[in-house]
Amino acid sequence: MEMDREPGKLEQIVSQFRSKILHVILESRVPSLHHQQQESLSLSRVRKTDKWFNLVLGDRPPALENLNFSLRNLLDPMVIDIILVRHGPCSSSVDNLYAPSAAAAGPSTETVIERWVVQYDCPRVFATPSGAEAAVSYKKIYKKCILLLRSLYSQMRLLPAYRIFRQLSLLSQTYNFDLIYKVSSFSHPFSREEEDGMKEYNFTPVEAPPGCLCVSVTYRTTLSDFNLEPLVSLPPKIITDYVGSPTTDPMRSFPSSERGAHAISFPSRGLRSPSSIPFQRPHSWSSGFHRGIPPTKTQSLAGSPPAYRTSCKPYDISSPPADLFGNRIQNHRVSTLQQATAYDEYKLSPPFSPSASPSTPTYLTGANPLLTRHCSETAPVTIPLPLTGRSTRYLSPNSSDPSRHSLPPLSPRSSKHDASSQESPSGIRSYRKIEALRAGESPSGLSNLYSAPKVVRDSKDDSGRFSGLLSSSGSPRIGFSRSSSRLSFQDDMDDCEFSCPFDVDDVDVSDSSRTVKTQRAKKLQNLLHSQIW
Amino acid sequence: MNCEVCQLKELKVEHFEIREVLRCILHTIVFHRALGLLRPKDVDLELFEITYVQCGDVELEKKIDEKIDHFVSWVEKHPNKKSQICLSFYEVKSKQPSWFANKTERLYWEQWYVNLNVIQHPKRHSSKSHHTKVVVDPRESANEERSSHRVMVEASLREVLFQIIKFVNEKKDHLPPISEGVIYFPYEITIPSSSDSAFGMDMIKRMLHSGHPTMLS
Repeated sequence: MEMDREPGKLEQIVSQFRSKILHVILESRVPSLHHQQQESLSLSRVRKTDKWFNLVLGDRPPALENLNFSLRNLLDPMVIDIILVRHGPCSSSVDNLYAPSAAAAGPSTETVIERWVVQYDCPRVFATPSGAEAAVSYKKIYKKCILLLRSLYSQMRLLPAYRIFRQLSLLSQTYNFDLIYKVSSFSHPFSREEEDGMKEYNFTPVEAPPGCLCVSVTYRTTLSDFNLEPLVSLPPKIITDYVGSPTTDPMRSFPSSERGAHAISFPSRGLRSPSSIPFQRPHSWSSGFHRGIPPTKTQSLAGSPPAYRTSCKPYDISSPPADLFGNRIQNHRVSTLQQATAYDEYKLSPPFSPSASPSTPTYLTGANPLLTRHCSETAPVTIPLPLTGRSTRYLSPNSSDPSRHSLPPLSPRSSKHDASSQESPSGIRSYRKIEALRAGESPSGLSNLYSAPKVVRDSKDDSGRFSGLLSSSGSPRIGFSRSSSRLSFQDDMDDCEFSCPFDVDDVDVSDSSRTVKTQRAKKLQNLLHSQIW
Repeated sequence: MNCEVCQLKELKVEHFEIREVLRCILHTIVFHRALGLLRPKDVDLELFEITYVQCGDVELEKKIDEKIDHFVSWVEKHPNKKSQICLSFYEVKSKQPSWFANKTERLYWEQWYVNLNVIQHPKRHSSKSHHTKVVVDPRESANEERSSHRVMVEASLREVLFQIIKFVNEKKDHLPPISEGVIYFPYEITIPSSSDSAFGMDMIKRMLHSGHPTMLS
């Protein structure tokens, strides 16, 4: 009876082990996931998932659940790449304020700085466990899994990438780099050059008959050769001298108004040609994935369910070996490029909107048609009415609030509330907590987190590369990028009305017309006078 | 049951670095031997760019700090000396009570030796090179030396932490079963006492309890 129950338990342990490892890795490499975890950790209750391996990490982000679902074949390796994205030099720091950083910056480079591989290594020939082996209870396996996870948790904080993660977690500074991740069941091998600067560490495998659980990491030993530096950010400037301001002389003429210039607050400059804006910010749920995947290959995968799904069956340790393991033997190593059955970028549905999945990453399908259409327009920014369907979910829910967009996108509030990141308000608290932790204080309460540097961070994130699944929706950055993307929608919506203090056109017209009328009246008067006299 | 022993790499630290270094090492070891349900707590060192993990248990933190205080007091009385702090994990076994011995005994199954060499910061004096006319600013050279020492200690501490992780990964079979409701295994921290002989006696006592000769590497 015990043996009959053990395979099911073993499968459960292996499955939860993979999930836990993924959670540990991503929560210490993806700031937004880390912030969410900080928030959920603040609650005193322990969730069911926390109890696994006696390691309380907080809520598992929905994205992780989706990843787990798509990689649920326990015999497939799970490869987690942590990718450093470096943005090229930008023209001016002012551009960073009002334009997506990717637009302002040069081409960005991506480097895999860490590769974690979790796999269940099976023997070629399945051997019926002997009496002694059969006696290895799942409890021992579970205990060893706990030990491995403890050491993994510590190691995550000792590797060089952790420093970068901590830097990015700080909201008081913006950097010319991002951290994204990619999870798949195969990976491209490193080149010789890449391997030179990397080191491998293998955790001691956990015996889980008939195979063993193996966790290894290949990581760059130093990141000092990357030019990772903070971006200079301008302090926020409140413009009080605008048309319509109560303190401004209504009769004062503004040089820009005479020429009918446009609102300066919003990034009309952000609307550039697709070639200059690499609005390659993929859909938020897939932005974590490596662009290097050839589109043809990916699209072919998108069209059909991955093969492993069709052959997926519950992991059954008691099944005859040939049936279960026969076609797995050659695929249990990740160093070689596997048959293209296991990686499916598109099957990982977004955490907030399954219906949004059809909005495939634009970098794969070409330039964003909306941007193409409106690249040359410099009309004043309009805020659309709340959209229906997936667009609403794709955009910030605050898009309908014109007051939020009457000013430059300072506040992450305008960008934060995404369905995929229900914890975003608390995310702010967690941001503060992290800062407080850095200062050696214990986190407490809310505080004003909205500061101008976040504008820079937000704009930078329009590259959309900041750690795929949830961070794209959880962090204010992605919210801003959504705002930017919304601009393209806004320009298309001629029926939207918008009153903005910075919207000079309407006020200009009225002012200039009033001026003209006054002048005409005066002329008429003069004429009349001259005629009389 | 085997008693596994791990001799950690020696660290050369200055007096003011002792607390941080010891806290980091001891908590890291206990975290890896705390197999009960816990919420890990990340702690950033102030002197070094290292983050280590604690169990989040207030009682444990208090006890470790107490021991560190005792150790610091000992160091102040014995400056410029190499010292060893021993963190041991044991199982409580009941035995036949006798006239000489207690009803329970401690069976040590793992011992960690933290080796510290507490150094004094050498006094600085203005050094005028006889070969050049340039006079070296003593403050500048002191800062440089301090900074290089800091870098060295940080690198060594990181190595020690990796050493701990390697050891806990390689040695797993000797751990006793996890008890329900217990977060971490019973432990004991031994610091050098006022007399070295007493410390030695503690070591011999432990050897007798563990039932195996201490494997000093």
